[in-house]
Amino acid sequence: MKRSSLLVLAVVVILFAISWILKANQLSATEENYILEAFLITFAAFLTLSVLSFLYKDNPFYKFAEHLFVGVSAAFWMCLGFWSTLVKNLIPRLSEGLSEFFNEPYMPGDYNFFFWIPVILGILLLMRLSKEHGWIARWPLAFIVGTTAGLNFVRYLRSDFIEQISATFVPLLIEWQGVGHFFSNFNLAIDGQFVMMLSNWVIFVGVMCGLIYFFFSKEHTGVFGTASRVGIWILMITFGASFGYTVMGRISLLVGRLTFLFKDWLGLIS
Amino acid sequence: MRRQLPFILVFLSGAFMVFQYFVPHESSEFVYEFLLDWLTIIGGFAMVLGIWSLIRVSYDKIQRKRENWGYSVITLAGLFSMIFFGITNWQDGFGFYILQADGLNNPMFVHFFDYILIPIQATMFSLLAFFIASAAYRAFRARSVIASLLLLAALIVMMRFNPLFGAWIEDVANWLMNVPNLAAQRAIVIGLGLGMVATALKIILGIERGYMGQG
Amino acid sequence: MTYMLRIMLLLVLLAGVSGLAQDQPVADTAAADTATVDPPAPVTNLTGQDRDNDHGHAIELSWTPSVDDLENPAGDRSVMRYRVMMWRPAFAFRVDTLRQMYEMVRNSYKPIRVYKPLVDSALSMVEQGVTSVAQLPFKVQLPADVDMTDVPQDLLRQTLEDTLETMVGQVEVSKDSVKTFRSTFLDSVDALTAAYATYPNNGRWDSIGAEPPGSGNFRHAGSKDEFSPDFLPDHTDLYYRVDAVTIDPDVYAESEIVGPIQSSGQWYNTGRTVVLVSVIIFTIFTILFVQQARGGKELYVRPLAGIEAVDDAIGRATEMGKPILYVLGLGAASDIATIASFTILSRVAKRVAEYQTDLIVPTYDPIVMTVAQEVVKSSYMDAGRPDDYHEDMVYFVTQSQFAYVAAVNGVMLRQLPATNVYMGKFYAESLILAETGALAGSIQIAGTDEIAQIPFFVVACDFTLIGEELYAASAYLGGEPILLGSLKAQDYAKALFVISAIVGFVFLVLHDITGVEWFTNFKEWYRVSD
Repeated sequence: MKRSSLLVLAVVVILFAISWILKANQLSATEENYILEAFLITFAAFLTLSVLSFLYKDNPFYKFAEHLFVGVSAAFWMCLGFWSTLVKNLIPRLSEGLSEFFNEPYMPGDYNFFFWIPVILGILLLMRLSKEHGWIARWPLAFIVGTTAGLNFVRYLRSDFIEQISATFVPLLIEWQGVGHFFSNFNLAIDGQFVMMLSNWVIFVGVMCGLIYFFFSKEHTGVFGTASRVGIWILMITFGASFGYTVMGRISLLVGRLTFLFKDWLGLIS
Repeated sequence: MRRQLPFILVFLSGAFMVFQYFVPHESSEFVYEFLLDWLTIIGGFAMVLGIWSLIRVSYDKIQRKRENWGYSVITLAGLFSMIFFGITNWQDGFGFYILQADGLNNPMFVHFFDYILIPIQATMFSLLAFFIASAAYRAFRARSVIASLLLLAALIVMMRFNPLFGAWIEDVANWLMNVPNLAAQRAIVIGLGLGMVATALKIILGIERGYMGQG
Repeated sequence: MTYMLRIMLLLVLLAGVSGLAQDQPVADTAAADTATVDPPAPVTNLTGQDRDNDHGHAIELSWTPSVDDLENPAGDRSVMRYRVMMWRPAFAFRVDTLRQMYEMVRNSYKPIRVYKPLVDSALSMVEQGVTSVAQLPFKVQLPADVDMTDVPQDLLRQTLEDTLETMVGQVEVSKDSVKTFRSTFLDSVDALTAAYATYPNNGRWDSIGAEPPGSGNFRHAGSKDEFSPDFLPDHTDLYYRVDAVTIDPDVYAESEIVGPIQSSGQWYNTGRTVVLVSVIIFTIFTILFVQQARGGKELYVRPLAGIEAVDDAIGRATEMGKPILYVLGLGAASDIATIASFTILSRVAKRVAEYQTDLIVPTYDPIVMTVAQEVVKSSYMDAGRPDDYHEDMVYFVTQSQFAYVAAVNGVMLRQLPATNVYMGKFYAESLILAETGALAGSIQIAGTDEIAQIPFFVVACDFTLIGEELYAASAYLGGEPILLGSLKAQDYAKALFVISAIVGFVFLVLHDITGVEWFTNFKEWYRVSD
């Protein structure tokens, strides 16, 4: 290890220790396990700063936080899945003895023996780990993919196609009383006749041009090409608008993290 | 047969799901709900595969002393201690339990969650603030017509509450969010929907086989 | 460093702008006039029936609006709404209570173990500014009228805190009481039909919905799930009545009672015929064009910049001697976007094998990992280099969104891949990934079906496949001409859409000009009911 790295490490360790002691001192009045509590808060702050240090460049502190995060989170989700899916939903239907063991209420039912099938499929999936019998894992996979494909087939045909057709039927003439009336009452108010009609036209033309942009089996030349170009313009305006919309929301995330550092850890603001 | 059987299974389960959509009869509902439960349960088993891969890759790194192997020790230490806490409990003076109760309520499990997972997760999430700024900076250097349109729309929406520009900018921003946005979203949704429907159909019919590793 | 400084400056500027934002003035709400009004005329001709060929558990009512309907200029115009009433036996209310108690008992059974960490985490995410329910690890119960994608922070926080309090306050109950409650409840549900048959004794009228003035029908769509509060038993005698209510809720007129009516589910749901027709048309299109492609017909597909970039990028990686990073996103193996991504991965892996470049595929989902290993392995075999394949090219990281991002970021910064490919489902992490990759100087190609994430990819990546282009790319890169057949089918479906929309437009104009109602009825053709 380089001399400078050792120096940095030493400084961090000392700062950590100081923070721990000060925090423990501060918490001793109110908390029972104040030493552990103070350590945990300091550690959380250390991890927060380690992750933020990534913005400067990759460094050992970030690597430490990253690797710890991966290990702990993988175990967390596994435990969560184990308790909430297998223990809570499967075991109570499978056997009274096992439910007894896991302290779960047994749920007797007429068709509970069917739940052995996913257990078998799950075990077949684990055959993946075997070199010779790995191919068996394709069966449960086929079941998963087939079921969801069937589900998605009808679901998206309905929500993303059929229901969009009727949603696009917007009146392109609103309160239409002739050209003369239109021009004599012309204004740019947001709820005026012109803006409302313009909006419906933009929606209609926008959807058409957007769809034309997504045509794959025809060359985008001539009128078709122009429409497709208008389509991509509208797409880009939309992306810009939703990008701009998100910017502000994201900045508040940072404010939240800074609050933790300055309030919960350092106690500088109350 | 070894190759064909999975595709027959794909067809049968896929076709049933399409069939049940049109058949509201109780028996069809019954099977449908069973199948959905099964999916979750199989997913639970799959977790083992993931954890196994994580352990193997980390162990391999340590054993061969690859670059940064020391950090893999931290991954494994975090993993095993969290699993240990997740399946045991010694709370409330009831003695020590393995697998029998309240693994997720184990005080150490909760501490790991509160003081390791949550701070890192929240900080990673807050990095978005920096990245959106750097992405905005990237967009500001736009050169092409298309990119400039994106930039212009982004600026208008970002400045929508800025009193310097007056009320019109908010109107324009709202109009952008409500009108062209709606049109483009719809065009994308229709395209996407058809893409998904087509892929799903190809899967059911066994035309698309890439996901089985035969593509 | 100057780069980061500029970014900081930008952040400060943006924060300043949001600080300048002013509060919106609150509009005054006029106090409602609640002076007593005369009782209106009741609704007439109330009829009710089970609709044929539906999913059951639903009754349709129709009536002639009151003479004094607000929409009827000839009457008093005093009827502000129609309240739909249903006769429910006292026993049904008891079943409701039992259901709530069972839910409480069941849910309080060690709820803290599973849900408390989730609620805690959701709460802290809300504190960080998350306002979309979908992003939270815990499903919050909110009033129906709230926009789930953008919930006011205070409301979310309050709801979560209440949930937490309830969870902590609830005591653990014994296993036996869960069992007992469950069987008592299910037995009571079975007895409901008998209870409804005792009409008109031992029960009372209960409001089940309201309709605005001018309307003449109501669909009482119950749930088929006994455990849902909306459960409506099939094959049971039901009685309804419709009240014409004035602005004073105490002044209303009752209609005649209609009943007994029974609901039941049938073998085919006609409300979904339009979906069935679409399924058939689309399947025919697909099979037709796939057959054409199989027969050797050349199908034209317009060039997509992102696709051509994939091959170039692999070449570039080889020249630089650097690896290629392929990210499959957060989707499950059965998500269609992930499946499309597998097909693209198979092509990338094949090229990588031919060029003898390195491939890194960190995954988020264990099943996705399994499939991806299979895909990469067979691509290496196809390329004639099975020995170059090793299992650790595709590995599992963790099933936690941001831990996964942290790890992938680490790969980008340490192994400096020449090219990053992001294909599949992405959520908030899209921007972190794409920006880190851009800062690390990699060429980036992205494609996702998550509309909300496309803008970030467009800004930070060199090539982005927008929405459907991801599926097109998958068909295109799959390497088999028959896969292209479905693209043609998709285009025909789009053409069908365009034609329908234009016909709809013409009909609407004709309706405006001629006033013939028939021209607006075509909307009904596309209505899908449950």
